[in-house]
Amino acid sequence: MFKLDRKSILIGASAFASTALLFTGCLSSSTGVDEKASAPSNAITAPSTLGEYAIKNKTAIDGGVTYVRANGVETAYAYNQQSTKGVSFGRRATPNEIKAWDLDALPDGTGLPEGEGTVEEGDELYEAQCASCHGEFGAGGKGYPQLTGGNQSKDENGVVITLKNQRVYGKTDAPKRTIGTYWPKATTLFTYIRDAMPYAHPKSLTDNETYAITAYLLAQNGIKIDGEEMDEEYALNKEKLVKVVLPNNNGFYPNIDGPNGPENVRAFFADRAKNIGAGVRCMKDCKDPGGQDGKTEAGVVKIKYEMSDVVPPYSTVRDLPPEVEDKTVSKAEKMYNQSCKLCHATPQMGAPAVGDIDAWKDVLAKGFDKVVINAITGMGGMPPKGGNEDLTNTDVKLIVEFMVDSSKEKH
Amino acid sequence: MAKMKIKAKEKKGVVKVKAMFTSLMADKEEAEKKKIKVDYIRQIVAKINGKVVYEVTTSGFMAENPLIKFKTKGGKKGDKIEFTTTDNNGKTATSKKKIK
Repeated sequence: MFKLDRKSILIGASAFASTALLFTGCLSSSTGVDEKASAPSNAITAPSTLGEYAIKNKTAIDGGVTYVRANGVETAYAYNQQSTKGVSFGRRATPNEIKAWDLDALPDGTGLPEGEGTVEEGDELYEAQCASCHGEFGAGGKGYPQLTGGNQSKDENGVVITLKNQRVYGKTDAPKRTIGTYWPKATTLFTYIRDAMPYAHPKSLTDNETYAITAYLLAQNGIKIDGEEMDEEYALNKEKLVKVVLPNNNGFYPNIDGPNGPENVRAFFADRAKNIGAGVRCMKDCKDPGGQDGKTEAGVVKIKYEMSDVVPPYSTVRDLPPEVEDKTVSKAEKMYNQSCKLCHATPQMGAPAVGDIDAWKDVLAKGFDKVVINAITGMGGMPPKGGNEDLTNTDVKLIVEFMVDSSKEKH
Repeated sequence: MAKMKIKAKEKKGVVKVKAMFTSLMADKEEAEKKKIKVDYIRQIVAKINGKVVYEVTTSGFMAENPLIKFKTKGGKKGDKIEFTTTDNNGKTATSKKKIK
């Protein structure tokens, strides 16, 4: 196990490696500018002190700036130098607390618990606890990740072909990221299931059960351990899990494992042109970066024909169009439409429908005034004033009049 | 090419069977769009002790890697269930599994 300090650096490094990959994907070309030149002059000349922004002989992992932390360690984040006097940092974690928290397992098996589980046991557990979301046989479904499937075969460069799929148009396939095609290390499968699954009640599985489910998933993906196919009776344990080599084991780069991880990442990104094919990152005078060799003219695209005469002309006025009053609709009907129509338009809601002559005859047997009072105070399933407290009593009376009028026999 | 995953369990005389077949299930139309070969399973037959318990005709209407489920009273624990698939080229594939 690493010391805590080292670990946090590694996490930062991997996060940076991924973001750096994203960003460099967007850069198009190069000028070969020395990256030192882009830093403020004081950063180059001034001796680096704690927490100071400094570019020494090393660049940051993603080509950005680095901050000195302590003992020659640099990070990508500014070191907070505020005085911590009077700040309570609490107590130190006890060894037991650290033990309870420090649960991860490395690909070499460090940190994996003892235990054993067979594919068959895993099958039963999977069906009971996992299949409802991840589908039978791990086929995925209902928006939850697919765990099996996808084409595990590789191209001549050792890249899993499925991962190169791009959803270009309607029916083309997207890349399939399953355990068999995408996951690099099987030990993370174990730790992830143990710590995060089942979704509804995580950490409820014992180590043996987790081994069993891991075994089942590996078997469903057709993974061979040491050349041995996993049948129903195959029992997975710590030693065997470490031996698993998943098809996409080498699909992730650079290698960020171990204390040399950050250096590996740095070396990898130092040679962007080769490793990513994105050229060198431009840090200065990038307006006209030119092509890949820096000589050819840049392909900056400008709008050739700008539209200037638009009819009607462009406007920034954001008012709504003026409301045209519909003279054919009375005030009462308008209010009826807003507050009453939802229930009174059809008999399905249980309210006497407007236009239903018989229903309204029954209602009016009580007398018109009583109907109005009922409408104001509410009746049966109807809330007072139809649920619209903004209506005045006079409004309600007008609405009832409208409804009664609309439900009379027409001669 | 069709690999299959089969699961069969008996409970109170009823055998619950689930099976998944590896196939792109690409009919002519889909294959043209994806620029791949036409490849789909045409027929799936399940037998227990030589007796047909399930038979379907399938085509590109089914999704990739189709999954089927059915219940049958035609078997008991220890029997073997045998699936045979025929693809569009007439190629057959067979796989057996013990009922649990």
